[in-house]
Amino acid sequence: MYIRAAAGISPQSSFEQILADPVPVTGSRLQCMEPDYAKLIDPKMIRRMSRIIKMGVAAAIQCLEEAGERMPDAIIAGTAYGCLGDTEVFLQKMVENDEQLLTPTAFIQSTHNTVAAQIALLLKCHSYNNTFVHRGFSFENAMTDALSLLKDGQMKTVLAGGIDEITDTSHTILKRFGLYKKEPFPAGNIFQTGSKGTIAGEGASFFVLQSEASGNDYAQLTGMDTFYKPASGEEIRQHISAFLERQNINREDIDLVISGENGDMKNDAVYDMVYQTVLSGIAHIPFKHLSGEYPTASAFALWLAANILKAGKLPGGIQTKKTPVTVLIYNHYQHIYHSLYLLAAC
Amino acid sequence: MADLKKQIIAQLNLKDLKPEDIGDDQPLFVEGLGLDSIDALELIVLLQQEYKIKLANAEEGQSVFRSVRTMAQYITDHQGKSTA
Repeated sequence: MYIRAAAGISPQSSFEQILADPVPVTGSRLQCMEPDYAKLIDPKMIRRMSRIIKMGVAAAIQCLEEAGERMPDAIIAGTAYGCLGDTEVFLQKMVENDEQLLTPTAFIQSTHNTVAAQIALLLKCHSYNNTFVHRGFSFENAMTDALSLLKDGQMKTVLAGGIDEITDTSHTILKRFGLYKKEPFPAGNIFQTGSKGTIAGEGASFFVLQSEASGNDYAQLTGMDTFYKPASGEEIRQHISAFLERQNINREDIDLVISGENGDMKNDAVYDMVYQTVLSGIAHIPFKHLSGEYPTASAFALWLAANILKAGKLPGGIQTKKTPVTVLIYNHYQHIYHSLYLLAAC
Repeated sequence: MADLKKQIIAQLNLKDLKPEDIGDDQPLFVEGLGLDSIDALELIVLLQQEYKIKLANAEEGQSVFRSVRTMAQYITDHQGKSTA
């Protein structure tokens, strides 16, 4: 399967910015840098769209434009939180108005499948449209669906993406649960805190996936896999080894690993373990200091990997023996949802 | 009617419009402001929230929401009366 185009709205304005001067982490939250939506979306549609819908639709439109595709055979999204902003508006009005006089727009737009639906409305695309809401596997299951449709030969071009937002309310609540850092940490470096908690993040990343090479692709997605709630480090190592074996690839063939360290001591211990064992000796970079942590952050990692392979350049001044040709993404969300993606340069 | 226009703009999130951009007799739907059926529901909520007026039946909506003037007239005729 080939990644024909990749576009994202994230706390970083572009891949070039990540290479040159990434936005540093300064607090417990990284917010997206949003484009001028009026240039991308019909103003009549924008007025009803909440922030996450605009982010998702804009990323999808940019992606399709880059691929030169007007009408994908399928639109598939993954989101864990859905449209939190409109959900909050709707619930707030329920309380304020004693469950009466509820405005329809906030209700309609608060459902998880709104982003994929709005993309379809904008494109007038009546094809397959699906949204996966499976917590830390939301994006992975969207991708699995997309790849299955392409592999079956039912479809040739699929638009797939992952989207999640953080709002003031959700950030406050999740921080109260202990998910995010409470104490200050070294400027710009979330990985040397030795403490609990991570950095809240958000983003919208979309991909045009095709079954055939176009000659101008970002990368080839040669494999992906997920595993759930591994019981031990040994089980994690076995899953990774088995995945590489199924892909007919040796550890030495991997030029770069992009992994999901997020600054939480317990979370990052998993990555330390794999880098000391099954993935030892391979150059590796984290990505969550750029995106923050969120259930569909692996979509940002895929966007980053695709850009690295297309540009042949690495962020953060990392040096590898040769220009990366084979990139592995290993991410887990809350040590429950583990995912692996293997990409190759085209 | 200027206040009503402000309320319509706020309720429907018509950010690019000012009250003076909406004509008193300009059709609100289709060829006029281009509003649609979801906007009609929002206008019903606006009448209830701001003026405590509940439309007696849905068929009235077409004539009530024809323009800002017809809305204002309906509000004037029904304010203080209970139609529930």
